[in-house]
This record gives sequence, structure tokens and C-alpha cells, in this order.
Amino acid sequence: MNVLLFGLIAEKAGAHSMVMEASSTAELRVMLASRINGLDKLSYAIAVDRQVVKDDVPLTGAEEIAVLPPFAGG
Amino acid sequence: MMETRTQKQRDIFVEGAIDPSLLAESVAKHATRTDIGAHEIFLGQVRADLQPSTVIPTDHPGQRAGGEDNAQPSAVQAIEYTAYRDMALEQMTVIREEAFSRWPSMTCLHVHHSLGVVAAGQLCFMVFASAPHRRAAREAVAYVVDRIKADLPIFGKEILADSSHVWKVNRSVDTVGRPTDR
Repeated sequence: MNVLLFGLIAEKAGAHSMVMEASSTAELRVMLASRINGLDKLSYAIAVDRQVVKDDVPLTGAEEIAVLPPFAGG
Repeated sequence: MMETRTQKQRDIFVEGAIDPSLLAESVAKHATRTDIGAHEIFLGQVRADLQPSTVIPTDHPGQRAGGEDNAQPSAVQAIEYTAYRDMALEQMTVIREEAFSRWPSMTCLHVHHSLGVVAAGQLCFMVFASAPHRRAAREAVAYVVDRIKADLPIFGKEILADSSHVWKVNRSVDTVGRPTDR
């Protein structure tokens, strides 16, 4: 699956997306931490199909996944 | 039957700063709507806050940037906004539907937000509500501004005078629009 990255997280990763395979958002968090240096110190949310998910949810690979640092609109 | 009026997705994003003339034009466009008795407007402007610089001093290459010893403040020159556009527009449609169901008398609601670079002193955000009476317009604007700040995936890179940058983080607000700090 193609994982979209934004703001500070895209900067840390040096990319605006990453191809990853994860079966759940919890597994995705572990994989992200191993791929993006310093991510463990940052606060971020995961959006599945453009909705922020708080709990661990299963992923089939067909979803649109995004990793979102704190919002700064306005 | 759903009571909520289904709202069409509209693009709120404009490239660069919001031209103040947009405000006058928006007001003028409503002159034909004689059922309107009140307009309420919120305008967000980029503030030249002092932020700790993240530049690593060249004379002390071993020192950590932004450390307590060398956190020289530098003023925000501009904010570069980016957004997760598809999610932001979906969320905006939800917020719009909620606002119209909470304040059914509201005649219209217009939202504009900048993307790209906006210099300090320029406008980056506009929320404009109109209603027959002031209370609905006023409450709807306060609600919509807070919901946008809390729930739209918009990111802001504050570019400092010394060309370093820091990432802006909104003070948290809960979803009924009460600030949870300050």
C-alpha cells in the first residue's frame, strides 16, 4: 500500500509517500518507526480512507492511508 | 428522512495569501439577498512570532540546534501551508453540514484557506457567515473556525528570518469550540 506522508513527517522521511505492507494500523506504526528516523518522539495520527482512526484497525491494502502530524490550519 | 441538508463539496483552498479585496467582493455579492440581516466574518492573519531558531551555529558545530544554550529567537517571516487536500475537503463538507443543521437560519457560509507561502501580516484564513439575525451568524463562525483548526489536515511550516523553520502546531481546541488551554 502507498502511505501518504505530510508536513514534518514528510520532511523527516524525505518523501511524500512510502510503499509499505501492514495488516493493521498498529503494525503500520511499528514499521513507520523503523523507517522514519525520530518518529518515536513525534505525535502523529493515522487516517484510513480520510478518517483519523484512534484504535488499532485492520488493513486490507485497499485503503487510502495517511500519516498526519499535528494540524496547523488557520 | 435526513434533516441535514446535504452540502456539495467545495474547494476552500486558494494559492498564496487571501487578497483583502475578496472580503469586500464577498459582501457586495450578498446585496441581492435581502433576507440577510447580519454578516459575521473571521479573518486569520500570519503573525510574526519569535521562535527558537534551529540553525546550527557554524562556530560551534558540535552544539545541537535549538538547544537551551543557543535558542536564539528569530521572527516568523512567512508560513508555508500544505494540506491533505482530499481529506480536508471531505472534513469541511461535514463541518458545513453540521453548521447548517445547528444554525438552520444561516443563509450561507463561505470558507477560504491559503496554501503555499503567506508572509507575516497577510491573510491566510477567512470564514464568512450570513443569516437573518446576528446570533446565528456569530455563533456559526466561532464554531466553524474552531472546527477547522482542530479537524482539517492542514500543516504550516513557519519560515524564520534566519531561513531556518519550525512546524506550527495549533493550540488544542475541543470539538465544541472551547479552547482547552489559554
